[in-house]
Amino acid sequence: MIQTLRRLFLTFLFISVSTSTTSAAEEKSGGSPLDVMGTVADHDYFNLFSIHIPLPRLIVLESAEGNVSFEVSGSTQAAIESGLFEDVDHVLVPTNGGHIVMDFSITSHLVYFWLGMGLAIWFTFAMSSRYKKGVGQEVEPKGWLQNMFEVLFLFIRDDVSRANIDDHKADKYVPYLFTMFMGIAFMNLFGLLPWAATATADLTVTATLAVITFFVTQFSGTKDYWGHIFWFPGVPGWVRIILTPVEVLGMFTKPFALAIRLFANMLSGKIMIIAILGLIFIFAELFGSIGAYGISIVSVSLTVVLYALKVFVGLLQAYIFTLLSAVFIGMAAEDHHHDEEHYNAEHVA
Amino acid sequence: MGLLAAGIGAGIVALGAGIGIGMIGKAATESIARQPEAAGDIRGAMILTAAFIEGVALLGAVICILLALGIGQ
Repeated sequence: MIQTLRRLFLTFLFISVSTSTTSAAEEKSGGSPLDVMGTVADHDYFNLFSIHIPLPRLIVLESAEGNVSFEVSGSTQAAIESGLFEDVDHVLVPTNGGHIVMDFSITSHLVYFWLGMGLAIWFTFAMSSRYKKGVGQEVEPKGWLQNMFEVLFLFIRDDVSRANIDDHKADKYVPYLFTMFMGIAFMNLFGLLPWAATATADLTVTATLAVITFFVTQFSGTKDYWGHIFWFPGVPGWVRIILTPVEVLGMFTKPFALAIRLFANMLSGKIMIIAILGLIFIFAELFGSIGAYGISIVSVSLTVVLYALKVFVGLLQAYIFTLLSAVFIGMAAEDHHHDEEHYNAEHVA
Repeated sequence: MGLLAAGIGAGIVALGAGIGIGMIGKAATESIARQPEAAGDIRGAMILTAAFIEGVALLGAVICILLALGIGQ
């Protein structure tokens, strides 16, 4: 699993690297000023109102002699100036023949992940202190914020958790599901700010979220859940040889699909907007400035519509991630009706 | 060649997902018309199934992006 994730991460790292060099080449030849992958890829700086604030690099470095050290530098520039690293095609490479064991660098996506999750936690704690004081319990909820919180929380509790997980267990998972929902929704909506980055348009972020769901699912699995995976009840013995690998594979494909779905949805939204805005520059090259002005009316109005769609898609994908998490947890935590299984077993025998 | 494969692949992905989601929409609207009081439950099931199809379609789309960018050559 970790191996696969690492390979996927390297693949996407490779995309960002390969495109940053090609876009640099394009800039020289006077091509489109829009950098598709630059807006999607992870960066070593935090973009605040177009001001680039460098972020620290934390790297576990293994030198050629085999000494492992933990290098901390304030920015990529500082890391290069320390003499330990050099810049090869926008990637830090150790100078003395060593290699990077682990790159814990704080990146823009990580900052937005923290911001999204932090906002979700702040929101929940601020509201819970109100409920402890009695606002919302003895009297009506006050203000738009608490009303919105109540609508969202009841939605997650009733329509997502209680609808998919067995009744006596459902409330135990509400905190997890609500954190996921709010965190992902905030991260998706942060991506709509022009200078910000969409943390969920990064496979490493969505994979992390999916892995958490995977562990929650496995740890809430009942005896019946594991029984259905390794020893499927009520089928002839030889069928189990086929079924067991399929069921074991199914354990891993569910969170994998969860990660890919969120990642690809958020990524495609960003790429689509850039592609439609890029039409202006393509038309400018083909038909001159008149063609560019003409198409810009279509492009900009289409982008506005897409932007509104992205708000909807961002909230919908947060809902779908939470809903599918609840469905998977519900499938694992389900108490089976045993008389039904006995009936099946008797008839097969 | 990679670009051609990615283009054709993206087209087939869109075709398959379109047919699938269209069939979900057809079945859902038919069942809501038949039983309007169950509209909420049907809508939930519809979104869930559409999400599953979307997941597979986007998996294909990601592979097409990888092909178009020439990854793995």
